[in-house]
Amino acid sequence: MKNKRGQVAIFIIIAIVLVILIVGIFLYQREIISFGGKAFSPESYLKDCITPEIQSDIAILAKQGGYASPTGFVTYKDEKIAYLCYISEFYKPCVVQEPFVRSNFENELSKLITNKVSACVDNLKREYERKGYSVSSAGVVSSVSIAPKKLNIDIKAPMTITKDTSQTFKQFNVQMDSQIYTVLAIAESIVNFEAVYGDSETTVYMQFYPNIMIEKNKLSDGTKIYKISDVVTKESFTFASRGLSWPPGYQLR
Amino acid sequence: MIKIKKQIMLLMFGILLISLASLSMVSAEVNVTVCCERTTSGLYCQDVVASQCASGVKQAPTACVSTSYCKPGTCYGANDGTCTDNTPQMVCNNKKGTWSVNSPPQCELGCCLLGDQAAFVSLVRCKNLSSALGLQTNYRKDITDEVSCVLQTQNSEKGACVYESEFQKSCRITSRGECAKTSSANANGTSESGTFFKDKLCSAPELGTICGPSSQTTCADGQDGVYFLDTCGNVANIYDSAMAPGRADTAGKDFLDYWANMKDRSEVCGAGSANAGSASCGNCNYLLGSYCRPSKSVGASATVGEYICADLNCKKTQDGTAKKHGESWCVWNDAGNTGKGQNSVGSRFFKHVCVNGQEIVEPCADYRQEECIQDTIRTAGGAFSQAACRVNRWQDCVAQTDAIDCGNTDKRDCLWREGVTLGTITNTSQTQEQNGTCLPKNPPGLKFWEGEQTKQICAQANTQCTVVFQKGLFGKETCKENCECLTDAWVKQKSELCMNLGDCGPNVNWLGTKGNRLGYKVTTVDSAAAPAASSTSGTTAGTGLGSTLGAPLGGTTGATS
Repeated sequence: MKNKRGQVAIFIIIAIVLVILIVGIFLYQREIISFGGKAFSPESYLKDCITPEIQSDIAILAKQGGYASPTGFVTYKDEKIAYLCYISEFYKPCVVQEPFVRSNFENELSKLITNKVSACVDNLKREYERKGYSVSSAGVVSSVSIAPKKLNIDIKAPMTITKDTSQTFKQFNVQMDSQIYTVLAIAESIVNFEAVYGDSETTVYMQFYPNIMIEKNKLSDGTKIYKISDVVTKESFTFASRGLSWPPGYQLR
Repeated sequence: MIKIKKQIMLLMFGILLISLASLSMVSAEVNVTVCCERTTSGLYCQDVVASQCASGVKQAPTACVSTSYCKPGTCYGANDGTCTDNTPQMVCNNKKGTWSVNSPPQCELGCCLLGDQAAFVSLVRCKNLSSALGLQTNYRKDITDEVSCVLQTQNSEKGACVYESEFQKSCRITSRGECAKTSSANANGTSESGTFFKDKLCSAPELGTICGPSSQTTCADGQDGVYFLDTCGNVANIYDSAMAPGRADTAGKDFLDYWANMKDRSEVCGAGSANAGSASCGNCNYLLGSYCRPSKSVGASATVGEYICADLNCKKTQDGTAKKHGESWCVWNDAGNTGKGQNSVGSRFFKHVCVNGQEIVEPCADYRQEECIQDTIRTAGGAFSQAACRVNRWQDCVAQTDAIDCGNTDKRDCLWREGVTLGTITNTSQTQEQNGTCLPKNPPGLKFWEGEQTKQICAQANTQCTVVFQKGLFGKETCKENCECLTDAWVKQKSELCMNLGDCGPNVNWLGTKGNRLGYKVTTVDSAAAPAASSTSGTTAGTGLGSTLGAPLGGTTGATS
């Protein structure tokens, strides 16, 4: 009877040890790796590295109508602001130049940050190597997607780190809080209004979106400069439009 | 010899004709526009002169609407489900969109229910939004207008949804429908939906969940006020510092009730007030000018938590008055007489808007091609002004010949000037026939520093007035006709007429500074010297910028501005 009890105890101990081992391996396989007692997350590392870079790139795109190098633009206060809707003639609503404001912003931002993301991934590799890991990796491909309340950066950077055991990362996802989705959605709506009706009423947007502020400046040639800002996060987007403009004086058609 | 001369003459005439014809053709070619796929300045699908077309791009000598590549239509983006109208085909195709002349079925809008919020969007956009928020797609195609869509969320029952999670009784605030979709593992290991408790909070002791009261606050989506959070992160009732754990008697009846049942904003602190800047109450009211914001962004602090009701109203605007959030009003504080046909040079209308405690200035179109209109509505909270920039309809003013048509504000923005006539006055009966002139209420601005157009416009106000004198027996002349043309009042009236047409005459700029010239010229010509006038002498007066005052028959007094 005692032997049987002893056997049961041994089985229980083995089971506990197995459970601990499985849990240990499971935790180890997760992306959190301990460096000298301090939790290290590659995604946090990348986030810290990329955030300042991406914010400056967002600022560049945001003040130029979503383009890093605008082609059809107006120079206003020394900034090249892209026309998202334009017509050279008088009296007519504008013709859309950029139908997908948000997608274009994502693409332009992806292009701008490519090298910076690669540099951050290289830094991450070096960080692992400094900690005694051997790292093998392939090329880096990054893309940006803008969603409500957040901005996602998907970094496809296959990487295997080895130290005693191996761990493979296929991709990293960096997420940032951002209200740029709402700002760009309003810009898209204004462009649509301009293209259909020739003008837009900014007060209505501001009343419906309490955190949004829209500044609209009409220049002498009929160009309208829109600046849409989030008053809480201070994110903004500026673009130009020209449509339904009137010539000075009596220049009737 | 004569025949050869004739032939040479004919040849020269022929050459002259051909030259003139070719010149006119060249000038016509210069002005002809083409539909240009891309201009030199990088803009797509513009009707411009051929020289403005980028090299190597398509161009056709027709309007863009008639071309295949620049034909406007609807551009549908399959990735995000957005539809944009008036988009040229090639622009849409370049951006990997799907172009069609008419709006495709994918662009039809429906109601997308996103938890306790709703959006009136296309199906693809609804899927994207649901995915981004981690929700199942709930798209109602049968709801065909935005108001009904928004009402869907307002009418839905809300309450605590209790479910099992990791052997614990957890809870979240949601609608009855969403709660039914919440699965929880029961004691048998099978999945079952959550249990819904209408109007209950997750922190209600009777529910026995792991959620309890906390001192954390937040701004809830789609809500005006500051809300408490429970320990599970659920939005509870409106923030009231007297109900915060640690500040209230946690065993008290009021405290327990506040953390157990959902309260309407009319039942909690500061009901009916804006509570802007209140440290103790988070019952903000957007319509009264307050909204939940992080305390840091406002520069104030709440007794508990990090959010506060921010004041959105403008306490002191440029004109020294206070305005409510969302109010807009017109401003024309330039020199000159706005609305009386004598706007100053360079003046324009402005719409001011009070938003988030800031005064935004929105200029209406330059050259006074737009004017600002405003009206005030009476609300329970007092007067609320609304303004808008609207096209200035001055174009057909001078074509109106009677006061009723001139004053038809449904059609035009003009004013009738009694006793004033445009053009030459030759006899008194003429002024009696047309007893006034219809003029723009806010004359358009002119580019007077460019071209000759301004001179032509202002010259419309040139006037010649023939004054008839009769010589007496002893040689004394007595004025018999149009004698008023000799008075200063007449000159003033005529010079004002210049200003009524645009930036003409003795006008001032928007700062009130006069020009370095008088702005008009009065010339008097005595016709006694002219052979045509024998027993009478005539005087003709003219006004108008840039007019070339000729000497009419009889003798003139002329004024130009």
